[in-house]
Parts: sequence; C-alpha cells; structure tokens
Amino acid sequence: MSPRLSRVAAILMATTAGFAASAQDAVTIVLSEELENVEPCMASKSNIGRVILQNVSETLTELVPGSGLQPRLAESWEDMGGGTWRFHLRKDVTFSDGTAFDPGDVVFSLARNKSDKFVCEIGAKYYGGMELSAKVVGDSTIDITSDPAQPILPLLMSTLTVLPSEANPDAFVDLPVGTGPYTFDEYNRGENIKLSARDDYWGGAPTVKTATYVFRSESAVRAAMVAAGEADIAPNIALQDATDPATDYSYPNSETVYMRLDTQTAPLDDVRVRQALNLAVDKEAFVGTILAPGTLLATGMTPPSTIGYNHDLQPYPYDLEKAKALLEEARADGVPVDTEILVIGRLENFANVTETMEALTAMWQDAGFNVNLQMVETAEWNEYYSKPFVTGKGPIIVEAQHDNANGDPVFSMFFKYACDGAQSGVCDTKLDERIAAATAATGDQREGLWEDTFAYVFNDLVADVFLWHMVGFTRVNERLDFQPTIRTNSELQLSQIEFK
Amino acid sequence: MAVAETGAPIPEPPHPALQILRMLWRDKFAFAATLFLLVVIFCAIFGPMLFEDVATRQNLRGRNAAPFDFSKDWSFWLGGDALGRPLLARIIVAAQNTITVAAGAVACSLAIGTALGLVAGYTSRGLSQVIMRLADVIMSFPSLLLAVIVLYMLEPSVGNLIIVLAITRIPVYLRTSRAEVLEVRERMFVQAAQVMGASTGRIVFRHILPVVFPTLITIATLDFAVVMLAESSLSFLGIGIQPPEITWGLMVSQGRPYLTSAWWLSFWPGLAIILTTLSLNLLSNWMRTALDPVQRWRLETRRES
Amino acid sequence: MISFLGKRAVASAVSLIGLIVLVFFLSRLTGDPTNLYLPVDASLESRARFREINGLDDPLIVQFFRYAGDIIRLDFGVSVRRGEPAIDAVLRAFEWTLWLAVITMTLVTAAAILVGALAAFRVGGVFDRIATFFSLIGASAPDFWIAIVAIVVFSVTFGWVPTSGTGTVMHWILPVAVLFIRPFGLILQVVRGSMISTLSSAYVKTARAKGVKNRPIIFVHALRNAMLPVITVIGDQAAALLNGAVVVETIFGFPGVGKLMIDSILQRDFTVVLAAIFVTAVAIFLMNILIDILYAVLDPRIRY
Repeated sequence: MSPRLSRVAAILMATTAGFAASAQDAVTIVLSEELENVEPCMASKSNIGRVILQNVSETLTELVPGSGLQPRLAESWEDMGGGTWRFHLRKDVTFSDGTAFDPGDVVFSLARNKSDKFVCEIGAKYYGGMELSAKVVGDSTIDITSDPAQPILPLLMSTLTVLPSEANPDAFVDLPVGTGPYTFDEYNRGENIKLSARDDYWGGAPTVKTATYVFRSESAVRAAMVAAGEADIAPNIALQDATDPATDYSYPNSETVYMRLDTQTAPLDDVRVRQALNLAVDKEAFVGTILAPGTLLATGMTPPSTIGYNHDLQPYPYDLEKAKALLEEARADGVPVDTEILVIGRLENFANVTETMEALTAMWQDAGFNVNLQMVETAEWNEYYSKPFVTGKGPIIVEAQHDNANGDPVFSMFFKYACDGAQSGVCDTKLDERIAAATAATGDQREGLWEDTFAYVFNDLVADVFLWHMVGFTRVNERLDFQPTIRTNSELQLSQIEFK
Repeated sequence: MAVAETGAPIPEPPHPALQILRMLWRDKFAFAATLFLLVVIFCAIFGPMLFEDVATRQNLRGRNAAPFDFSKDWSFWLGGDALGRPLLARIIVAAQNTITVAAGAVACSLAIGTALGLVAGYTSRGLSQVIMRLADVIMSFPSLLLAVIVLYMLEPSVGNLIIVLAITRIPVYLRTSRAEVLEVRERMFVQAAQVMGASTGRIVFRHILPVVFPTLITIATLDFAVVMLAESSLSFLGIGIQPPEITWGLMVSQGRPYLTSAWWLSFWPGLAIILTTLSLNLLSNWMRTALDPVQRWRLETRRES
Repeated sequence: MISFLGKRAVASAVSLIGLIVLVFFLSRLTGDPTNLYLPVDASLESRARFREINGLDDPLIVQFFRYAGDIIRLDFGVSVRRGEPAIDAVLRAFEWTLWLAVITMTLVTAAAILVGALAAFRVGGVFDRIATFFSLIGASAPDFWIAIVAIVVFSVTFGWVPTSGTGTVMHWILPVAVLFIRPFGLILQVVRGSMISTLSSAYVKTARAKGVKNRPIIFVHALRNAMLPVITVIGDQAAALLNGAVVVETIFGFPGVGKLMIDSILQRDFTVVLAAIFVTAVAIFLMNILIDILYAVLDPRIRY
C-alpha cells in the first residue's frame, strides 16, 4: 500500500510547471501505438523498429535511401560461392552492458530467430523457406551460408538485429541490450520509454542525449502535442492534421495500396473484366483530396525506389466508356459479369481508408459492376487476404497495403504472385518461372528480370488493380534539424537528429 | 374564478386529446420537443425513400464543402462530407437506421430488464439470486467482446446490432427496477393489497410498476444517446453498421478525424443525437407531470398562477 | 448479514467461474491469433511452429483444462504479444482505471445529488431548466468531441494544462473533466426525477401537514428516500468506468484497462482478455454487494 500512497502523494505534489519538453539535448517522440514488447528480434514490426532499430540494436548491414546497402556492424563482405558469404566485422564495438561484440553474438542472434520456444518476427518474415547457418572463422570474421543460395544475403543481413550471446535464448527480453548509440534505460509500460546516449559508442557520441517515447493513438492529439511543445517528432499524422507547412513533412512511406483480385473465380478470371476494373478507377481524383498530394499512381507492388521497378509502365487511364465496352464484350461471350463481387476493406489500414474504399466501389458501380463493400477488422481481413482463401462467397476483391522498404522486389513478389504465395490471387507457371529466375540472379541481370516480371504482371496478366504508392506525414518541432525519409516508417535513427 | 363570477354555465369538459394538447401547449419546451420528434419520425419513415440518391452521390473534388453556403442546393446547406456528399440529406436518410437501432435496443433492454427486475424483486430468493448474478455476469462482460463475437459469426446488420446493444443495457433496468420493488413492496398500500388478497400479477402491474416506471423512463431516454454513441464507437472499430449504410453514429465516427479541420462533419449528426435525446427527455418529464394526478396542477394552472 | 454475505460470496464465485468459462469458449470463436501475430509474409512452417509453441493446435477442450489447471493456481498465463504475465499487464492498467473511476465518481455523485435535488425543489424553475438543459447536452454529446475540443482550447491555445499523458496532477484534469460529463447528466436526471416523486408522496405531505416547516429536514428525509434508484444508477455508471473509459484512454494516452482490453480483443490476446475480465468482474461484483448492503442501510425495511 505504501508505494501506491507515496505515488499519489508525488502526483499531488508535483508542480504544474514543465509539461513541455525541456532539456536542450533531449527529444520527445510521440508514437501512434504502444509497444507490446521491446524484443529486438521483433523489430521488423514498425512500432518496435522505430524505437529499437539502429538506436539500441544494430544490424550487420544497413540500407540507406539514395546510397544503397552500407556497412554497419560489418565493415565489408564477399561472396564465397555455394551460397556462403563472408562478413568482416568491426573490432572496436561493445554492447551497452560493456561486453565486447564478437562473431559468436551474430551466430547466437541468428539461431535465436529460429528458437522453438518463441516466435521471432524477423525470422518468420525474412528467413522463411531457407536454411541459414553461420560459422565463426576468426576473431572478427564470420561465414553465413544459406540453402538455397541467396544472392541478396547481405541485404537480408540488414534486417538481423544483433543481441549479445548472454541474452535470454528462450523468451522476449524486457531490457534490450545492443551495440547501438543509445542505451535502453526503462520502459514504463503504458507511459513511456526512455533511451540515453552512450559515450562509448563506436560511431561517436550523437547530438541528442536522451529520448523519451510516448504513445497517443489519436492523430489530432499527436499533432497537438508538437504544436504545444510537448513533443518534438510525431510520425504518422493524418493528412487533415498536417496543416502547418513549417513543421509537417511529407515523404513516400514505402507503402503500396492495391486491390487483390481472385483470378480463379468468374467473372474475375476474364482478363477483360480485370482490365475494366482498372480502367474504371479515377485514381487521380483521390490524390490531393482524400489522399495526400504527392501520392503516386502505382503500376507495381513495390515503391519506385526498389531495384527493378519498371519505370516504363504507364498507369491505366480513367476511361469509363472503354471499361463499359470491355464489360459488354465479356458479357457477350457468356462471362457472368453481373455476379455480385464482394470487396473487402481493412479498417484503419491507412488514414481515410474507409472513404477511399467507398469512393472506389462507387466508381466500379458507375462502370456497371455489381460490387458490395464490406469493411472488416484486421483479424477478419486476414482470413480473406491469406491462404487458405474464404470459399463459398463468390468472387472476392481484397484491399491491401503492402510495405517494402527493403529495396528489392524479392520481399514481395513470391508471396503476392507465385502459385504457392500465401496472398497470391494468381497461379501462372510462366510467372512462377520469372520470379524464380529473378530471385536467383544478380546485378543488372536481376534488375532486368524484375522489370520484365513487373511488366508481365501489369500488362499480360492484369493480375491486380494497382492504386497508389502512399505518402506519410511527420510533424517535426522547428527546433530540430531532421528530414523524414522512406525508412521513417520502419526506423527512426536518433543519431541523425541535429538541433538548429 | 372568472367563470363562476360571470355566472355562465359550466362548460363541457374538453375532449381528452384536446386537453392533452392544451397541457402540451402550456409547456413550450415539451411542445417544441414534440414537434422535433415528429420531424425525426417523418425523416425515419420517408427519408431513405425520398433522398437516398441525393445522399449517396459523391464528388471527390468538392469534399468537405463548408456549411451555410446558401447559393448551393438545399442539401448542401449544412456542408458536404469527406466524399462530397450533402450532409443534410445524409442526416435525413440516416434517421431511419439510427432510430430503428436506438429504439429497438432501448425498447428491448427496457422490457426485458424491467420484467426480470420485477421477478427478481418479488419472487423467491433462489430465483432472484440467479437473475441478479446473471446481471452481474452481463455487467462484467465487455460489450466490445460481445459485439466482436456476435458480429464475427453473423453479418453486421441492424438486427444483430440491436441484439448486442440491448443485451449490454439490460442490467441497469434490471437492477433499478428490482431495487425499487424491494422498497415499494414494503410500503403500506402494497402490504394492504396483499392482505386483501390481490394476486401477485395485479400487485406488480397495478401497484408496483407505476411507481417504478418514471425512473426507468428517465434512464431510457438518456440511453437513447448512449446507444447511438455506442453504435458509433462499434462502427469506428469495424463491428457496427458499415458503409454504404449510414447512421448518425457512423457519421459522427467518420467525422472524427476531421474534427479539427472540418468540424461540421461530425457536428451536425452529433447535434441530431443531442436534440433527439433532449427532446425525448423533455417530453418524458412533461409526461411524468401530466400523467401524475398529484402533479398535474403544474401544467393546468400555470397560466392563472 | 453474515449469512447474506456468505451466500452472496458463494453465488458470486459461481458466476465468476461461469463468466470465465463463457468468455474462454466464446472468445475462441473469434478466430486464430496466429495470422494476427505473425506478419502476412510468414511461412506456413513458422505458422505451424507458432501454433505448437502456444498450444493452439490442441483441441479446445484440452486447452481449456490446461487453462483451468493454471488458473486454480492463480496463474493467468503469459501474454503472447507482450511476453509478460497477463495479470501483470492487467493489474498495472487496472490501478490507473480504479483511480480514474474513484475520483470521477466521487465528484459526479456529490455534484449530481446536490444539483439534482436543488432542481427538483422548484420543478420548472429557472435553475431546474438550466441544469436539465446543460446536463442533458453534456450527457448526449459524443465524448471525443469534448475531449479533442478541450485539448485544442485548453492545451494548445491557452497552455493551461498538458494535452495528454501522465505524470503530474495537471494531467488528470482533462480526463476527469471529460469523464465527469456523461454520468453527471444521467445521475442528475435520476436524482431529480426520484426527488420529485418523493417530495410529492404522501408522507412528505403528511410531514408538511403536521407542521414540519423546516425545509432542510424535509429535504434530507426526502433525499434519503429518493436514493435507492440513484445508487443503482451510480453503480451502473461506475461499472462502465471500471470496464474502462476507452475514448478517454485512447485520446489522452491514459494507460487504463479499457484500451488494454480493446487492443487484446482485437489482437486475440486471449490470456490478457481473460485476466482483464476476471479483475474487472471481481471489482464489479464487490461493488454490487456494497450497493445491496447500502440499500438495507438506507431503508431498514429492505431485508435479504
């Protein structure tokens, strides 16, 4: 009882002054959702990654927007052939608890991702369908082998957060220790997370000395907190709250919105019907109205900064007459175009998703489609989006937003388009071959093969209705010198923040 | 009084309906409330039939049109929503679903809750105990979980929504009516009726229910707002009524992200909820006075006093 | 009284068990948490591994008996999402909720009884009209309106109070003020209605006829007799707050049990849902027992 009483007393006695962020070199960041845990091997979830990734836990390599894959904990790497890559690690690195970083920590972190006591998201998301093994070959050298061989193994290593080999191998850690520029000080669940800068960081001490993370799910409140001086950075505010050009930055957030078509079920199995669906959407009309200005029309599954993105593809124009004509043509050939099509939207998937879906279905109705919109919560949406698909409800179109900030289409294409892909609405042997070929290739050849694959999906198969590459807004206090980038969705590096 | 002094014959007592209208006229607030409710009921019955088309026509480039622009069509006088649809027409059309859900849920929970409460208050301890503990269980069962369960297995429809909302509101009527029964049954006139051999049913319906009812009605009128807003938060979480269907609650929750940039999106439907609740409450207060012989004088003699 | 409490405790325990069994099976009808926990790109193999590690591949009845066995030892299990014991997360959140509910309901009760009783004293008078009008508007307005407008006005424009969060006593002002409004309107109306009935009832008239001129005495006696429905409604509103004030918690970033419960339901984090329901149910059951005792205290004729 007494600690509780003293806490109340403390609350009552606390003065009114000082609810604005105070110290010169401290920043407060207001996130849209609380962290369920602070486990580094879950850092591919954006809410966890924004706090942990490259602030507390670092990776061997790092994908830097504009300059490609860069060294981080590994200084260099080379392909040894046979699926093996050799990484030369930094020597002067210590963890925040004082222990030295060595190749054994990498072996441990890799093995921990495949633990049979708990499930790590990084392993489940990036290392599925391959066997990764690591071997220490020297004080600061390690060989990592994948079976089957992965030409992009160094890129995959930009996702692996490294923990010290003393960390708990069987459960989530609640006080993560890493090699990054910040020490994870405390997590007051429901209230805040506190990080502080390390003096002994190998890359030099950062400008921001302490960071506090707080959580508010209402976009208007996050924006208000920066306006009131209580917070310095508010990632992910809604378009309608981004009203101050001096503080609100827009940036491509690596998300792509598309409508997944079930090409196995009539009438969606007819290519003319799929073309008509594409032509009937006035995608331009959304930009600058429901969606942010700067939103790009999409022709593929990954953002334009990805390698192998086909810049020659042109979005389908808005052509209602042609759409109607195609539909009539299909009808004349006996395609059941009047069948009711169920359109599934995911609530709170992005700002204004419900309005977007309402407008989209209205456009399809104008073209003569018999569509019925249903907005569902995430759990239910999952059952429509991933295999095994829901059956017995007729043709279904699923709205989805896909995030690929990792620079290579391989993280998208297999899952979304291969016959065995968990969210694939198509099954086409030629496409399967193309994806396999591109996945195994390297360099310019890889880039060319991916471009062909994008064109094949878009022009020949008309597999989906691609809509937009999205834009996010972040409100930044004017005292900071910080530019959000395409990576801000998944990480927010405090060491990149300077004061004006 | 004036009539007696002039010696004129005592006039025929006016028709009862006229008498009620007169009493209503004397309480200007109750009169206005009645008019407003009649308008709402009219919208609920005929709104979708008349304005469905107007209310669903989208215009993305004219979204969030500001209110009070009287140069536009009447349907835009209260502004346009996030898809450029006229708010006034949408409010009129939405009245049907809104009133169906709210009236359905409130009526069901009021009827079931009161019936169970009367039973619990007036019968054997065993049965009473069972009913009351059941109420405890419902009270502690999160309404959101109930909604997720029901609507995950069934379609999100008006009927299912009424079921969910009605169940969650049963305990308040149940506990209130039972508490009143516990007290009323000890009163002199009930004891007297018992001694004189009146049947249980007669005692409950003739003697106890009239005493209990006014409190229940007070709660029920405010529950109208509670139910409409609960429905709004269920829609917000994706388990209530979904577009393209509309209710005031759904409109309020759809306007939520725009509260600081385009206030009218959620303000007008919210105002409709407030005015409906306010009217219901004013009318029920008036009815309580008008129907109670002890207090009726307040309405009959105001002009003279 | 002792026998009443004993019987009541047994009956409440039985309904608590019933509640847990009901929630356990019903919540499992809302889908498998695997797809929600893992990224959509997760392989079938890691999905299978997740189910195995968390015992989701066992038949439901086996899962239930395992859960029942644990709960007898007061082990509510570990939250899959949070990696911490479910009961820890719930108790931490419930402490905030409890304080919020106690502070709010104390203020509401005092204010509503005072204003409601005064309004009933001159029905239709100016004070009555004003009190009724504003309390009804407050009670039927969407709470997020009031919350967000209050933040914009009092925090951003005037800077009097912090926008949201926790830490100082100032952080409690807006959440309590917003939570205050709805129960205040409802309870005020019930007090007013109940007082009108009591003041016009036979025994108050008798007291007046007997020459008890002292208004305060009549007032206090009538109030005491008008309290039964009032207490019931106060209980109902308090129960709603104990179940969590979701909107206020969401907007003000207040780490209470309502948001925890909603998030856990939407994420199918069943251990947390069950632990949260267990804790709030115990609180609500205790409160209802207290209310039933209060009935008997206020009106000695009521026996159980």
